[in-house]
Amino acid sequence: MLEDELNVSIRQREGVSIIDLMGDVTTFAEEKINDAYRQVTEQGARTVLLNFRQNDYINSAGIAILIGIVTEVNRNNQKLAVSGLSQHFQKIFRMVGLAQYAEIYQDEDEAFQAFKSALAES
Amino acid sequence: MSNNQSEMRPLEKIIELRLPSRLGYERVAMDTASSLARRMGFHGDRVDALKTAVSEAVTNAIEHGNQHDAAMKVVVLLTVRDDELIVSVADQGRQMLDQHSTTRIPQIQDILDKDDKGGWGIWLIRELVDEVEFTTAPSGGNQVRMVIHLER
Repeated sequence: MLEDELNVSIRQREGVSIIDLMGDVTTFAEEKINDAYRQVTEQGARTVLLNFRQNDYINSAGIAILIGIVTEVNRNNQKLAVSGLSQHFQKIFRMVGLAQYAEIYQDEDEAFQAFKSALAES
Repeated sequence: MSNNQSEMRPLEKIIELRLPSRLGYERVAMDTASSLARRMGFHGDRVDALKTAVSEAVTNAIEHGNQHDAAMKVVVLLTVRDDELIVSVADQGRQMLDQHSTTRIPQIQDILDKDDKGGWGIWLIRELVDEVEFTTAPSGGNQVRMVIHLER
């Protein structure tokens, strides 16, 4: 009742691997998030978008899981982006320093607009 | 008459929660604090900040102070005043808080290569509330007292 409240799923859009995180990101989320990341990486993901939805509760244990993903993303030379966070959690991500390692977008569409203009520039 | 009322008031505005030391129950404290803060008139961003601070304090009490022993309680006292909300969180002190940890500022670039990527909770609390104090509870455990001020 008070524990596992996260649904994680993966999908592809325009060459980007999206991990949808619907619900709460706490210590109980570790296996699901790491499994999803491992799966998209095995599929050859170059850009990973963590797309948050309805996340009322992300705590420091959840932040630690996401820092773990940053470590892996750096090791695997991937690009990480984040979308869909509430204003509060965008602020927390910036405070913690996660924004140095992952672009933060309001929503999935804004992320894809940015990906496209980055492609056009390169 | 008015004297009587003002003596009554503090009692009416203290809410006490006794939570089992099991992860997930911090949500009960978080939701209670959120509900009170909203009713007091705090803005949404302040309520969100308080929710995170309360959840981190209770999580620390469950994980560290009470070492996940579900029989041990975490006591959360919420005191509503006209211009502020005070939330104190006390555990039973199976493990006492290292005082250094209350002032440490974690750096993500140092943490990236460590196995333990945690340690953000206390720092987040300090960043998110107006006043915070780490003390020893009368019961002998750890106590965190957090205050947020109502700006009108």
